[in-house]
Amino acid sequence: MALRNPKGSDLTPLFDPRSIAVIGLLKEGFFGGYVVIKSLLNAGFKGEIFPVNPSYNEVLGLTVYPSIKDVPRKIDLVLIITGARSVPGILRECVEKGVRACIVVSDGFAERDEEGRRLQDEIVEIARRGNLRIVGPNTAGIANPAKGLIPNPYEMGYEKIKHGAIAVCAQTGMINPQAFPYGDLGYGVSKICDFGNKSDVDECDLMEYLESDPSTKVMTLYLESIKDGQRFLKVSKRVVSRKPVLILKSGRTEQGAHVSASHTGSLALDEQIFDAACKQSGILRLETFRELFELPKIFASQPLPKGNRLGIITFTGGVGVLAIDEGAKYGLSVPLLSSGTRKKLEAIFPGLGKRIVDMGPPMALINNYMPVYSEILKMVTLDPCIDSIFNVIWTGPSGEFMEKYLTIYRELQGSKKPIASWIYGPRLPFVREMTYRLEELGFPVFPDIEMAIKALGMASQYAKTKGGDQ
Amino acid sequence: MSKTGTIAQLRKEGRRILTEFESKKFLKQAGIPVIETRLAKNQKEAVELSRKMGFPVALKIASPDMIHKSDSGGVKLSLKNASEVRTAFKEILDGTQKKNPSASIQGVSVQKMARPGTEVIVGTSKDPQFGPVIMFGLGGIFVEVLKDVSFRIIPLNRRDAKEMIEDIKGYPALQGYRGKEPADIPALMEIILKISKVMEENPEIKELELNPIMAYKKGALAVDARIILEDETSL
Repeated sequence: MALRNPKGSDLTPLFDPRSIAVIGLLKEGFFGGYVVIKSLLNAGFKGEIFPVNPSYNEVLGLTVYPSIKDVPRKIDLVLIITGARSVPGILRECVEKGVRACIVVSDGFAERDEEGRRLQDEIVEIARRGNLRIVGPNTAGIANPAKGLIPNPYEMGYEKIKHGAIAVCAQTGMINPQAFPYGDLGYGVSKICDFGNKSDVDECDLMEYLESDPSTKVMTLYLESIKDGQRFLKVSKRVVSRKPVLILKSGRTEQGAHVSASHTGSLALDEQIFDAACKQSGILRLETFRELFELPKIFASQPLPKGNRLGIITFTGGVGVLAIDEGAKYGLSVPLLSSGTRKKLEAIFPGLGKRIVDMGPPMALINNYMPVYSEILKMVTLDPCIDSIFNVIWTGPSGEFMEKYLTIYRELQGSKKPIASWIYGPRLPFVREMTYRLEELGFPVFPDIEMAIKALGMASQYAKTKGGDQ
Repeated sequence: MSKTGTIAQLRKEGRRILTEFESKKFLKQAGIPVIETRLAKNQKEAVELSRKMGFPVALKIASPDMIHKSDSGGVKLSLKNASEVRTAFKEILDGTQKKNPSASIQGVSVQKMARPGTEVIVGTSKDPQFGPVIMFGLGGIFVEVLKDVSFRIIPLNRRDAKEMIEDIKGYPALQGYRGKEPADIPALMEIILKISKVMEENPEIKELELNPIMAYKKGALAVDARIILEDETSL
């Protein structure tokens, strides 16, 4: 049974603390409290930081306190990196000190053995009685880039994460800054959370917090288990009515489910029943780890489509046909453009006013092509027969069109229809640079045709769910 | 007798399994269309009821100690006249008493053979994580061999009911094919929604199954049903 705190899921002290105590390992290295403090300082965390360890006096210019009781100020958030056996004692001190949130990075709990499970039960009980929320144990923690709150226990190789609208949560540290190149992305994230063993704070708490978090527009979660099915269904139904929720769920096979149950120490989930829960609440299900980071982009910075009619602009017919096939999987249809638009397109170049707007032939023949391109892209985007746009971009051999493309896209900012782009070309550096710069402008670029179409398909599906045809 | 009254009464008797006859009575009170079924205490009553309902009829043993009625020779179908009914009645009683001498027997249920339609199944069970769930599928080989079923968590809304019917791979079979009449989808949705409500209102029910339901062009009719209650201790 899930243990509920009287404060419900108010996770403000966790994501927006004014002060943090870091307890435990302070030795320099690629892992530990030293790295946590360094990451906080580098990311520009404005609150107070109190290192706690009886063997040190000073670290990174900060006074180290022998115990949390000796810290002279109020503490909102505590991060613990010690051996599992000392965690219960530290948590009791936290409760006495009035701490409200705690990240237990330490491992050796329910994921390890029977003794670990007992320790985990003990810390949950301490937290419940003391009105303290716990993330973890066995977690790489959380991040709130807008506040410079990146208490990362592993060396990450970069300092800042761009602030954005996507919240990423998972039952694994594979989404934390040491594992994913947030620093190199054109788009930003709002919150990151690794649940670890999910002894207290779970997917429902997070969804409820993110539901009312103004900076989060979409949440993407990787789950191996659900802590409380009935609560999950109730919460997700409500949250989905406000913000899209994307979930990648592992343990779909019998062996996968078995391994998951032993490594997270939780009840295996019946795949068919979980699928029913997602259908009933309107959760969008993901199939691959990569989708966890790619598909939410369409919701982060693009408007929702009004319907399922897809417009395609490409440089080859082949890409257009692949896109049509893929779109059919998600109920997208590719209509003829309005007769007015078709006429105008035919006037620009014969054969351009088709279901797939193929820019290949005109590009090869029209001098000063970019102004024409700009006109065509705007015309299709504004066409009344189209609800969303799949636009294909060719970088050229030397990236010569890049600045022009960016100018055209800037003019499309604030468009009422979502645009998913795919960039290809003969040189990877140009593809990468263009991807980064377009995403910086708020236009999602997908790694392949299929994912771009899936993103638009999900946007159309979510718009329908939200439209409330229940 | 109120719905909860039926269950309370069974509890008093220390029973967990409702006979087909009791299950149908309970479901009929909940507004679910079930084929008219009456209980005959003896051969004479069985013949009278058969005549009143019209041949052909089906006879089934009514015993809370036998869940799988047909395994113990407790089911006789398509009986065309009074003499077939008499013989069937005797065979059912003799057969079941031989197989299970200590079984308590309430009688033999009599029902008109349902007109053939598209056979579907609606069942419920309890998931350890999500609580009561409802299952829908096409009858016979589709459920048993192909596992072509869909699930939803209770309670359901109309859209859930519609989507769970559309979710099964065999859905085109319900839309009519090769001259076969289509199934009344709204009638099936209605049954699903009523079962959802029954499960919400009666947490004492552990499992419930309508198998088969005959779906017609207009309407649908549950032909067989069973209900099993939770252990007293698990409530």
